[in-house]
Amino acid sequence: MTEWLTDPLAFGFFVRALAALTLVSVLCAVVGSWVVLRGLSYVGDAMSHAVLPGIVAAFLAGGNVLLGAALAAVLSALGMNVLQARSGLKQDSATYIVFVGMFALGIVLLSRTPTFTSDLSHFLIGNPLGVTSTDLWVTAGAVLGVGGLLLGLQKELLLASFDPTEARAIGLPVRRLEQLLLVLIGLVVVLVTALVGTTLSVSLLITGAAAARLYARSLGQMMLFAALFGVLGGAVGLYASYYLGTAAGATVVLVNTVMFVLLLLARGRLARS
Amino acid sequence: MTHLSCEPHCYQPEALHARDLSVRYEHHTALHGASASFRLGEFSAVIGPNGAGKSTLLKAMLGLVPLSGGEVDYGGSADLQPHAAYVPQGQTLDWAFPVTVWDVAMMGRTGRLGWWHRPGPADRARAEQALRQTELWELRGRHIAELSGGQRQRALLARMLVRDAAVLLLDEPLTGVDTTTSQSVLALLRAQADAGRAVVMVTHDLEQAAHWCDQLVLVNRQVVASGTPEQVYTPANIEATFSVSHLGSAHGKA
Ligand SMILES: Nc1ncnc2c1ncn2[C@@H]1O[C@H](COP(=O)(O)OP(=O)(O)OP(=O)(O)O)[C@@H](O)[C@H]1O
Ligand SMILES: [Mg+2]
Repeated sequence: MTEWLTDPLAFGFFVRALAALTLVSVLCAVVGSWVVLRGLSYVGDAMSHAVLPGIVAAFLAGGNVLLGAALAAVLSALGMNVLQARSGLKQDSATYIVFVGMFALGIVLLSRTPTFTSDLSHFLIGNPLGVTSTDLWVTAGAVLGVGGLLLGLQKELLLASFDPTEARAIGLPVRRLEQLLLVLIGLVVVLVTALVGTTLSVSLLITGAAAARLYARSLGQMMLFAALFGVLGGAVGLYASYYLGTAAGATVVLVNTVMFVLLLLARGRLARS
Repeated sequence: MTHLSCEPHCYQPEALHARDLSVRYEHHTALHGASASFRLGEFSAVIGPNGAGKSTLLKAMLGLVPLSGGEVDYGGSADLQPHAAYVPQGQTLDWAFPVTVWDVAMMGRTGRLGWWHRPGPADRARAEQALRQTELWELRGRHIAELSGGQRQRALLARMLVRDAAVLLLDEPLTGVDTTTSQSVLALLRAQADAGRAVVMVTHDLEQAAHWCDQLVLVNRQVVASGTPEQVYTPANIEATFSVSHLGSAHGKA
């Protein structure tokens, strides 16, 4: 009766994919909550494109692709922040200037690649079923590191997000906190990218947190709900792709989106009743 | 009440001194050589027409806007929190933010706790006390989106109290608040001053200011007059503060 649940678990790649999606969902819940609260979703989107030159450059140089992407993410994050501070532009404009530039650089580099190998395309499109146990360890480390850091800085981030003026009045380094957050968004996007590819990574980052915001009355609740939604969406999506024979990453994203819409409708119901 | 014990401050009663403050925004000088002193144990009101630079004066004293001249001196409060507690004007905050009334009060502890520290029993006790003083204790578990305008104002007031700062700066805390609440807010601020703090409030209510405050500061781009209500409320001062149309000067030579 429960065979349909246990059958796929006989495959190592399936178990690893499930574990990776679960870990990443927790990470995305913690970081994504801040992204949603501060209205930084577009940074996640921009970031997912800005990592391209890092990926291609690392690939051309024969280095670690993940490391290259992470480096590009950190550089873009700081670049956006500095550009915004220098130019006085709104953050969205500053962000997109950097991201389009980085993306173009990636394409230029890409045009220098002799053959567009499957290794590279894997990274661009992503594939949860290709997760290695090393990837899992890296992801687990990131969950602990990033999660611990954000938990430790929670009250400062909360004040800086809810009331930046008050945060400045008590002498918090509001801009440094923002830079930190941008860098963390970049790093998380890189990890997520390996699972679902650059274009779909934002979905994992924000959909769970956005759904959680509909129901949460406190930050802790928001992160908890976001993690639950994310883990659930990941598992359902993965099983669905297994039985339907569809692309795993995209199926997970689709399930997340459907879940968000259902939760939104359910809230409408609750509010009316 | 956590009374500020009167030890160091009684000898240095001047908590905050603004000397010749000038603030320029891009095309407009909002303040031009404004000077004022605020003493511990005193409740002061800053009064002036719209656009007179009252909010700017508070922000300048908090270091939130750059000064183009003058200086701000926080006298004897070095051993207390170095920064003053502030309640901004209006409700520019995102009230859909997922925080409860309790969380907002607790935010007042952020500066005091320092990095990486979590609030302990003493911090929670302070938050409880502030929420009781602002009559929000029963509503502590509410999401802030479910508060009325006056209750939101009181939540910010609670957060300010929790900071235990020696200097309290409030920008129009009585605006949008009903008469009963406004009386209790004024009584609360009066009590804070009597407990040894310097309380500075921007208000448009001249009558209440005269009734509750020790010092009135009339502002119109500069400090027109300051002193006790009897000293300050002269026809000449009122005329100088309110009759010059400020709307015109916004476009005139700065
Ligand atoms: N950020 C800003 N940029 C440019 N000009 C500003 C800015 N803030 C205020 N001003 C201008 O400076 C002047 C003083 O503004 P301020 O907010 O200090 O007035 P106020 O006395 O608090 O008025 P109100 O009673 O309406 O609150 C006004 O003419 C205003 O237009
Ligand atoms: Mg004002």
